[in-house]
Amino acid sequence: MAVNRRFLYTVLYVLMLAVLAWALLPILYMAISSVKTQVNMFSMPPKLIFEPTFDVYHDMFAGRGDFTEFLTNSVVVALVTTASSLVLGVMGGFALARGNFKREKDISFWIISTRMAPIPAVILPLYLIFSKLGLIGTTAGLMFAYTTFNLPFALWMMSTFFKDVPIDLEEAAMIDGCSKFRAFWRVAVPTAAPGIVATGVLCLMFSWNDYSFASIFTGNGSQTVPIAVSLLVSQQGIKWGQAMATGTVIIMPMLICGLMVRKYMVRGLSMGAVK
Amino acid sequence: MLQAAEKRIRKVKRNRTEFWMLLPSMIVLAAISIFPFFFMIYASFMNYTLDMDKPRFAGLDNWRNVFTSDTFWESWGRTAVYAGGGLVVQLALGVAIALLLYQIPKLRNLFSTLFMLPLFVAPIVTGLLWRFLLDPTYGLYNWFLQLLGLDIQVLGDTHYAMPAVILMDVWEWTPLITIIVLAGLQTIPHEPLEAAEVDGAGGWQKIRFVMLPMVRRMIVVALLIRSMDILRYVDTITIATEGGPADVTKIIGYYLMQVAFRFQDIGSAAALGLTMLLVSIVLGKFFMKVMRSEEA
Repeated sequence: MAVNRRFLYTVLYVLMLAVLAWALLPILYMAISSVKTQVNMFSMPPKLIFEPTFDVYHDMFAGRGDFTEFLTNSVVVALVTTASSLVLGVMGGFALARGNFKREKDISFWIISTRMAPIPAVILPLYLIFSKLGLIGTTAGLMFAYTTFNLPFALWMMSTFFKDVPIDLEEAAMIDGCSKFRAFWRVAVPTAAPGIVATGVLCLMFSWNDYSFASIFTGNGSQTVPIAVSLLVSQQGIKWGQAMATGTVIIMPMLICGLMVRKYMVRGLSMGAVK
Repeated sequence: MLQAAEKRIRKVKRNRTEFWMLLPSMIVLAAISIFPFFFMIYASFMNYTLDMDKPRFAGLDNWRNVFTSDTFWESWGRTAVYAGGGLVVQLALGVAIALLLYQIPKLRNLFSTLFMLPLFVAPIVTGLLWRFLLDPTYGLYNWFLQLLGLDIQVLGDTHYAMPAVILMDVWEWTPLITIIVLAGLQTIPHEPLEAAEVDGAGGWQKIRFVMLPMVRRMIVVALLIRSMDILRYVDTITIATEGGPADVTKIIGYYLMQVAFRFQDIGSAAALGLTMLLVSIVLGKFFMKVMRSEEA
């Protein structure tokens, strides 16, 4: 029996390692390739021992290319849209959790269906409005698009987080003379802070990772890093070295952010359905 | 009497703050839902191209064009294969890996965290990375295939391109199903499992008759979220295959982007978009039902 058990566990661990290899090998391979010379990178069987070179990174950050401009745009757009969707989402989410609205069910459905709307179907009307307003080719248009797209998610998530905050605390504060809004700001927001951070990280991820909106709404000078990736693919071929380095630069901050809010990831990814 | 009136006033007052807190969000939401929705209905009845100042009324022309075009039905067909295939595979793998993680409590946290990483990779990077891995000359996975004696240009082959883009989606999103289902498994109390053991249930029977039924809701939630998102995103396909070769990976979302921005036919694109919207609204209804079933 004991032998059997040990055997079973060995099988399980081996299986698990295979699963991890499948999930992580592409990411590792990308990061490793980005510090290989062109020759090493293309040699098959893959070279496991090689001298790392940071030339591609050096060219990207210090060279004549516009990568730093793409990066700046991405950072600004992602931070601004995360902030604005949080401001709206935290207030609105609180209202949804505490309020007693007549058609709450309809409002909820409206929010969730907006979250689910297919991106290609919604880009079109937004594109036409933006071109009328002269927002195509600016980061402002992109910020507006991301804010609106993050908002249903932020509203939904925040309302589930605020529902978890016991209402007694706010009521006590209000008995002490706080206004409803003050009770929200001073009591509910600090209590729900971890939820706000987790929601913010997922908003950040959406804005940072998106390619569809950026490809349609931006132009020279307002492009973001996902566009930088796509520009490396051309009729003449693909600049693989730069592609791997750019990919690594894009995913690193998100891996770190994701791991930071790991505890709330399940909840965020399941739209609050699983706590 | 007086108390009741006071209560009612308090309720109105209480809701007034909330009303003003929710209003800005509702206005912004309207900008991406109600307005575009009516706009698309309007545009779908117009002869409307991107360079045109004044769209002309076109009656049912766009709808007729869309519904009689082979590309439309083929794209939906491919979408069904892409979404159906992708969802089945990631559901099976996702649940299996969740069960696996559940069995190894010691390293569960570490392993599930590591396994989660693909979720954070930008879909555009996923597409390009896999294109690199599958590159016929330089690709690592292509080299693996060659070692197995398979010499195929995966992404350039009409038979293998669709399975390959499905695989990319599976790689990126299986962890979502796994961590949701795993979270569900961890909430299962010990008693029913012990009871099943006492009744002589084997490992497989415990999974089939005790554990899976108890996480059914999680599975449905994960599946619904994935089915909506698989329709929503076209980034990976855009960079990995550009809908090719010979259109075999041209799913409906990609086709819509082409009609709108390459062919610049807004009217037809609007009609196309409405068909997509319809499908996601149906999925949304399901989602709400599942969410509420928990509250009840």
